[in-house]
Amino acid sequence: MGRYLVNIWESVSTMLIGLGITGKHLLRAKNGNVTLQYPEEKWPRPERNIGFDHQDYNVIRSRLVVDINDCTGCKKCERACPVGCISVEALKVPKGTDLGVTSNDTIKRLLVTRHDIDMSECMYCNLCTFPCPEECIYMTGGPNSHKTPIDYEFSEYDRNNLIYKFAVATQEEIDSYTIPVPVTPAPEGAKA
Amino acid sequence: MISDQLATAPWLMWFSIAGVTLFLIMAFNALAAVYVERKVSAFVQDRVGPMGQGAGLHAGKWGLLQTVADAVKLLTKEDIIPRAADRKLFIMAPFVIFIGAFISIAALPFSSIIQVIDVNIGIFYILATSSLGVIGLILAGWSSENKWSLYGAMRSAAQIVSYEIPAALSIIVVIMITSTLNLQGIVEAQGGIVWGFLPNWIVFNNPFAFLAFFTYFIAGVAETNRTPFDIPEAESELVGGFHTEYSGMRWAFFFLSEYANMFVVCGIASVTFLGGWQSPIPGFMNSPFWGLFWFMSKVLFLMFIMIWFRWTFPRLRVDQLMSVAWKYLLPISLINIFGVGLWILLVGA
Repeated sequence: MGRYLVNIWESVSTMLIGLGITGKHLLRAKNGNVTLQYPEEKWPRPERNIGFDHQDYNVIRSRLVVDINDCTGCKKCERACPVGCISVEALKVPKGTDLGVTSNDTIKRLLVTRHDIDMSECMYCNLCTFPCPEECIYMTGGPNSHKTPIDYEFSEYDRNNLIYKFAVATQEEIDSYTIPVPVTPAPEGAKA
Repeated sequence: MISDQLATAPWLMWFSIAGVTLFLIMAFNALAAVYVERKVSAFVQDRVGPMGQGAGLHAGKWGLLQTVADAVKLLTKEDIIPRAADRKLFIMAPFVIFIGAFISIAALPFSSIIQVIDVNIGIFYILATSSLGVIGLILAGWSSENKWSLYGAMRSAAQIVSYEIPAALSIIVVIMITSTLNLQGIVEAQGGIVWGFLPNWIVFNNPFAFLAFFTYFIAGVAETNRTPFDIPEAESELVGGFHTEYSGMRWAFFFLSEYANMFVVCGIASVTFLGGWQSPIPGFMNSPFWGLFWFMSKVLFLMFIMIWFRWTFPRLRVDQLMSVAWKYLLPISLINIFGVGLWILLVGA
């Protein structure tokens, strides 16, 4: 009989202890939760070295950026890319057209109509940045961190958003060079 | 001709309205309870539960649309009936369980004027109908042609039949004090003040009735097959128990009935022990409308306690389950009846 009452007492008291513990967690739900709601909330970007002590490379992850104002459309990056994720199209403009100069004072002779980089294909080998004569394609971070801020990550809801389109040439600009200006026809019999 | 008469018969109209309303109450109750269940479980475990940052891709503010999305998913799911299953019984089982819960809710007094049917043996009726669901459970387990389902059904039969007894014996305490089986009569008998300041609810009437409330509530949790008494559907042992083979809409009916049964058990507990639609402060806000409010808040509070239980206690073993029912709850409820009888004899009801 004693054992029986002790059993009842123990079960009731331990049940209350258990309810107390869960109740405590229930009440501090607002501040006590450990969930990070990822796309809306992010951890601060960890500052760490990726293996060797070199301040140029102490970034977690970088991505390709093109300063399109400096691009001459030489397609050297496109050819260098081992996976073919860069596609550049350039348009030859009539002689004498002023497209401006790059920051290295090179005269731009081609209008870059397309400069797409598919970041979902990029393997971060950095091989495209070395051939660039104008140093306008580069990985963010390291020595370039002052040019473009480093992101924590660059995930997107839609995969198509990972194709970065850098070209800024407008359709009117392209049309003004591609649609031929009507010239006065040559006089009859001039050829003969 | 007959259809004309049926269409104009007022009882048919009222029965349809009452039926649809009850179904909506059950459906909304399930939607809300699932949401609360998920949120409480998350908070207890230091998570945030269903969340969203607006409509569209997410489940709305604080994940409020989560259960709506779940319901849509269940409705549009493929209806699978296993080839080996006993087709007729398999289709029938969810509805038998659902009917058991549905006709129990019909007799609950939501307020002094809101009640679908005022049976003069109300409490007896509800005790009878709420255990009707066990037939559905056994049907589901038997017709699935699956050993896990059958195990679950057998366990649930053993469990519900065992826990009916302490639950009914605890209710007898109430009937002794109020000397009526009518639910409205039971609630009306609980108006006024007892011990100087407490509302005259049966739970405060005497120490034995206080004990009887807890006996009933524990037995009620067991009757609804909820953790810690969820051995009929023990996920870690029996896959899903009696509803292993069910999916989509039929499974949703099991779920609907589980939450409706919770509602019924909590409804009986609040009617019989916690004063039903009586205000906690006697004479304060006691109109029929506020009666609905008080009744619903008592029921929802008890349902919250049940959810809290679920996320606190581990599941009992089968032998522990049986010993709780037969060795502890049954003697205690018998002592309660004896004690209340003495109390009525010596002190008065």
